[in-house]
Amino acid sequence: MQQTTFVSGYYLDDKDLVEGIKALQDKNIEIADVRTPFPVHGLDKVLKLRRSRLPRAGFIAGAMGTAIGFGFQAWVFTEAWPLNFGGKPYLSVPSFIPVTFELTVLFAAFALVFGFLLSSKLGPGADNVIFDEEVTNDRFQILLEVSNGNSEQLQSELQAVGAEGVQHHDV
Amino acid sequence: MYKSFEFTKKIKSYLLAMIVIGAVLAVAGIAMNLDHTHRIWANVLLNGFYFTAIAMSAAFFVIVHVLGESGWHTAVQRIPEAMSLYVPIGGVFMLLVLAGMHDIYHWSHTEHLDEILQGKSAYLNPMFFSIRTVAYILLWSVLVLWFRKLSLKSDSNYDLKLFNKQRGVAGVFIVLFAITSSTSAWDWIMSIDAHWFSTLFGWYIFVSTFVSAVAIVIILLFVLKSMGYMEHVNDEHLHDLGKYLFGFSIFWAYLWVSQYLLIWYSNIPEETIYYVQRIEDFGFLFYANVVINFLAPFLILMARGTKRKLNWLIAAAVIVFLGHWLDMYMAIMPGSIKHPEFGILEIGMTVFVLGVFLYAFFRNFAKAPVVPENHPYFKESFDYDNIR
Amino acid sequence: MYVSPVREPLISGEKSYSKVTEDIYAPMTGKPGKLWFGGLTLALIALGFGLFSIFITVWDGIGTWGLDRTIGWGWGITNFVWWVGIGHAGTFISAILLLFRQKWRTSINRSAEAMTIFAVMCAGLFPLIHMGRLPLGFFIFPYPNTRDVWVNFNSPLLWDVFAISTYLTVSVLFWYMGLIPDIGTIRDRLVPGIKKKVYSFLSFGWTGSARHWARHESMSLILAGLAAPLVLSVHTIVSFDFATSVIPGWHTTIFPPYFVSGAVFSGFAMVLTLMIITRKAINLEDYITKAHLESMNKIIIATGSIVGIAYITELFIAWYSGVVYEQYAFVNRAFGPYWWAYWIMMTCNVITPQLFWFKKIRRSFAATFVISIFVNIGMWFERFVIIVTSLHRDFLPSSWSMYSPTWVEVGIYIGTFGLFFTLFFLFIRFFPVIAIAEVKSVLKTSTEKFIKKGK
Repeated sequence: MQQTTFVSGYYLDDKDLVEGIKALQDKNIEIADVRTPFPVHGLDKVLKLRRSRLPRAGFIAGAMGTAIGFGFQAWVFTEAWPLNFGGKPYLSVPSFIPVTFELTVLFAAFALVFGFLLSSKLGPGADNVIFDEEVTNDRFQILLEVSNGNSEQLQSELQAVGAEGVQHHDV
Repeated sequence: MYKSFEFTKKIKSYLLAMIVIGAVLAVAGIAMNLDHTHRIWANVLLNGFYFTAIAMSAAFFVIVHVLGESGWHTAVQRIPEAMSLYVPIGGVFMLLVLAGMHDIYHWSHTEHLDEILQGKSAYLNPMFFSIRTVAYILLWSVLVLWFRKLSLKSDSNYDLKLFNKQRGVAGVFIVLFAITSSTSAWDWIMSIDAHWFSTLFGWYIFVSTFVSAVAIVIILLFVLKSMGYMEHVNDEHLHDLGKYLFGFSIFWAYLWVSQYLLIWYSNIPEETIYYVQRIEDFGFLFYANVVINFLAPFLILMARGTKRKLNWLIAAAVIVFLGHWLDMYMAIMPGSIKHPEFGILEIGMTVFVLGVFLYAFFRNFAKAPVVPENHPYFKESFDYDNIR
Repeated sequence: MYVSPVREPLISGEKSYSKVTEDIYAPMTGKPGKLWFGGLTLALIALGFGLFSIFITVWDGIGTWGLDRTIGWGWGITNFVWWVGIGHAGTFISAILLLFRQKWRTSINRSAEAMTIFAVMCAGLFPLIHMGRLPLGFFIFPYPNTRDVWVNFNSPLLWDVFAISTYLTVSVLFWYMGLIPDIGTIRDRLVPGIKKKVYSFLSFGWTGSARHWARHESMSLILAGLAAPLVLSVHTIVSFDFATSVIPGWHTTIFPPYFVSGAVFSGFAMVLTLMIITRKAINLEDYITKAHLESMNKIIIATGSIVGIAYITELFIAWYSGVVYEQYAFVNRAFGPYWWAYWIMMTCNVITPQLFWFKKIRRSFAATFVISIFVNIGMWFERFVIIVTSLHRDFLPSSWSMYSPTWVEVGIYIGTFGLFFTLFFLFIRFFPVIAIAEVKSVLKTSTEKFIKKGK
């Protein structure tokens, strides 16, 4: 694996972080990642993150759940083993609503959660690099990728935009 | 900063024209149906009830946000507030219904009642029914006017005590309305099918009119915006209103299914008769009701984007508004006129009452600033956003 | 995001982001206190007794219960519905209150949702045991078997299987997804060692990347959108168990929404009962404050009043319907042999929560604690009244009967308390009781005094 190096700078306040990011963006410095202890309000807009495709995945899976849930019940009661329950029709649609609904929700929920974990490369045993353990406490960290050994330059850039502490990381 | 609304001659003349056209059509319809008075009175009840209940639901919308300590709603609060002031006018139509009682409610023919209706006659009798009708109208009018008065006070005088008082009135309102919304629906609507009963009925009718009230708030917002008012209302507000329309359409469907499924499943003739009548005589409309009021808003508003675009939102709102008119039609007509009838009478009466409703709305909306600027949470309404 | 200065702060004291981490992590460090060990031991004893009672039920058969041919559902189903009801607060708080942007949910959602999961586990036990032959429990799943018969999709009892298992699964997913950032926080506070490895595994490699957060928020919102109707559906389907029948007192159309409301009502009561103690025991008084108490009590009044209106509605419509069986069922409830259960239910559920209209009472921890216990009792009796009083007067007077539980049934109920509290004690020890990241995200606008660090 190719070795990548990063430079990180951290802030202790979310507002300062957003200002720092904006200052870096003004200088056309590409930001590799931003790591924060909680979802910072408006950060997705500043970083111009693409809107997640999870809603679509959830919708498709939910629609599948609806189709499978309803289809299976209808098949069981009209094809596989039609049984008369209290004189109700074999294809008794109102009776199929609850199970169809539950399967819709179940499928969509699974798609959302697994979609989230897969697209974020998170999961049991995921071994992501944590550059600074204080990020999950109170540090708002900006990560810049080092290319052509410009680590020192990037470090001073970060200091210039007000980072509290600056570090070099070899991965 | 917030352009106050002016009830111009132009708007006035449009609305008056609408009222006149409606009245002419209604009178023509009445003239054609003089041998068919059931239908005339059923239409008075349908439109009288629908718009009065919408006005009360609009008041409920404001009240529940006051009690829930909400901030976002203040940007649009004055729209439902002005809608709610229609209650006393709608009450007049409901009083009119009393005159046509014998044509709608067969329990009112006290001289020949069967055993079951005799058992109910302590509650369902013309005298007590009239008293209740008058009581609802008076009580509701007092409640909406009382709250409106306090809300307007905040425009001239910023005082936290006033705000607390608003919450107090809201508490009184919600308790009284929680009881009367159900009982009024039993009285005015459920008792048309006098032998039939359903404990859920009151809540079902309330949610139906509540969805419709939200739809009208959106429609009126669109109208006001296209006239150049309410420019402070942004995408976030639309999104929230859209969520209400979406969520409560689903909730309405939930109640519809709950009532239908339980009656269908248990298959007790006293109860199934209600649906048998509706499916056999109104077949297409019965299913259309669910499609229009559930599937349409559900599919249109599911995506995030459509809730934030006024054009999509307005499409859903108009469908829902008409859809719940149909829902009320399905609740009232099968018991009173037995077979679906739709013509000049229905159109004329609806246009007329809608015209009166809108006239009252715009007149009342013009009387006060378009936003309650002194509301302690007012500023919050302009600094929040929905998760992407 | 602007918050009006008029609003009461949710979190008291002077707080910075790191102080929040420290405060919420504190109860997980050091040796657990005597109270914790004592509580856990008691819970384990109760659990053991429950397991013994279940063993007796399975070994000797369902005849060890107080049921007969008239009263086929007694404590078992009462407890099932009661526990499922309690399991409605957590997901209500984290899903519906998220959709309504209620910030106060951040301090209580984590623990409430844990209670949801534990309560649903307790609830799920009862139908399984009630089948009498525990090893044949898998018959409820629709699988292709040698007899070629499928399960009955027309049966509300089967809908329950799907509803409860979906609810449990989705609640666990929702809860755990919310938990991973906080497990990440705990992981990073630990010194290298086996414990850190375990938390590292459990944290799913959480880094706090902005991309992950954006997706996480988007996922949480849609999950909330899905979980909101799911919460409603679960108790709705439980109510179908009764309402699809033709038993007077069971068959009434108001059941679905009224059961849901009652479920949220009892769930909130249970959350209050436990959190009022927990916040004291593990020093989280700054995070669960009077502001939270007041908001929760408002929901108690709302749902309690809805339940009250539903009682009156049922009563009135029973008279109005003109159906003699319905009328008798309700007269019998109030004045029949089980009158005491009915009046306990009425007092606890309809009258006591109305005390919260007084601001002093709804802002008092002591008063709330007492009332919340009343509500828990009242909601248990509600299910008892619905089940037992409706059944014990059969259509055929020769089948009329009376019911009282045996020690085995009581034992299983005690056992579920044991299970619930065992899991709860383990939870407060090994997981952060309050959603750390979520509290931080509203800290600036909702704390009494925010300490800003940095330049």
